[in-house]
Amino acid sequence: MLKDISLDIHEGEVFGFLGPNGAGKTTTIKIITGLIRPDSGEVDIFGEAVNSLAAKQRIGFLPESPYFYEHLTGHEFLKLHALLHNLKDYKERVRSLLERVGLAEAMGLQLRQYSRGMLQRIGIAQALVGSPDLLILDEPLTGLDPIGRKEIKDLILEEKAKGTTIFFSSHILPDAEAVCDRIGIIIEGKIVQVGDLATLLKKGVKTDEISLEEWFVQQVRNQGKDI
Amino acid sequence: MHRVIAILENTFKESIRQKILLLLVVFAILLIGISLFLEPFALGEASKIMRDFGLAAASLFGILTTIIIGSTLIRKDVEKKTIYTVLSKPVKRSEVILGKFLGLSALVTLLVLAMLMMQQLVIFAYEGAFDPRLLIALPFTIIEVMVLLGILLLFSSFSSTTMTSIMGVIFFVVGHAMPDLKLFADQAGVALLKYVAYGLYYVLPNLENFNLRIELAYGLPLYADQILFSICYGVMYITFLLYLTTLVFEGREFK
Repeated sequence: MLKDISLDIHEGEVFGFLGPNGAGKTTTIKIITGLIRPDSGEVDIFGEAVNSLAAKQRIGFLPESPYFYEHLTGHEFLKLHALLHNLKDYKERVRSLLERVGLAEAMGLQLRQYSRGMLQRIGIAQALVGSPDLLILDEPLTGLDPIGRKEIKDLILEEKAKGTTIFFSSHILPDAEAVCDRIGIIIEGKIVQVGDLATLLKKGVKTDEISLEEWFVQQVRNQGKDI
Repeated sequence: MHRVIAILENTFKESIRQKILLLLVVFAILLIGISLFLEPFALGEASKIMRDFGLAAASLFGILTTIIIGSTLIRKDVEKKTIYTVLSKPVKRSEVILGKFLGLSALVTLLVLAMLMMQQLVIFAYEGAFDPRLLIALPFTIIEVMVLLGILLLFSSFSSTTMTSIMGVIFFVVGHAMPDLKLFADQAGVALLKYVAYGLYYVLPNLENFNLRIELAYGLPLYADQILFSICYGVMYITFLLYLTTLVFEGREFK
């Protein structure tokens, strides 16, 4: 259950949305993407209601542990999502994205033949197909090996360099630390901390250096949660 | 409309590549094959029985494919979360429903057409000539398939796959028992029973409206008013079912 969630995401930043299991990260993301509706309140994206086509035209979304149409090839899958964005030059867009996520050679394979890492990359590709201004990634690093995580992190940083705003949830704190500008911590459906990563890590700790992981554990313990 | 076509194409490809379809095609070929061996049992009526049996087989094949694939069409997308990426795109939920409906309808149309063509080949092998009049059965079989698919989509937008397929079979059986229900209503002695039976008769889909098998197999005449009524009835029923499905699906939350 979420309570009084209020988040402002700045344009062009990478925002890490962190919290223990069951804290409400995925529920928040589902509300932002219009998959569920809040009991009360409003969610706007770029000033438009989340469920409007205008808002959806500007977002790209990768769900947690995504499953895709397993009998479609990688190329067909991306083409479907490109057409849903009404891209006239979808052929070029699909081709260049497949190359960018390193799946050009596997584009003719059906998705059931893809590895976990390949699925995550084609998932990112479908999120990017409409050249979104806001990229929402739910646990994009979970279940990946170190190479897979590096590839996804690189893609996130490339998008950031292009000026895309990125909102992502993660359990993998060292990786989140490597790519985030700001973070928000959610515990039991409530946002307990939001701010600039460097400032937050200094706030309220005695040691000079603290990792995001150590800081996160402190924050959760401060809320009286066992982890 | 381009978004509906994109989903139509996706549904068509995803469905045609399912292994279960291969089984159904083998079953269909077997059904048509059986009609080759009917002659010794047909007591001189082989040509009519071959036609009747072939039309029934094509219709049954279309219905079975629709129930088996149609009952998982939305449910599987929701359970496997494949619907999440689609719904996060600038697409209306009604377009998703329509695209899926048209995609599977297109596939079943192709399959039933292929089966009717096989039947034509069997007739040609026996009689040295085709009987193209039998192809009139195609649009009516497809309207029946679409009505049933509308029912399956409606149930699968809120119910489980098993329940949806059971409802599909029930509506298919009941839909073809409508003349019996009408007879029962006409003859029922108890007023309440009579009203209930009439109520069900007018509300439930009368799939016998799309059954021209006897007329086509036995060379009986077809009447324009009967054909027109069947088409209008089918189109109205399908529109109503798709509208209801969209209403349910629009309100659906994906927790």
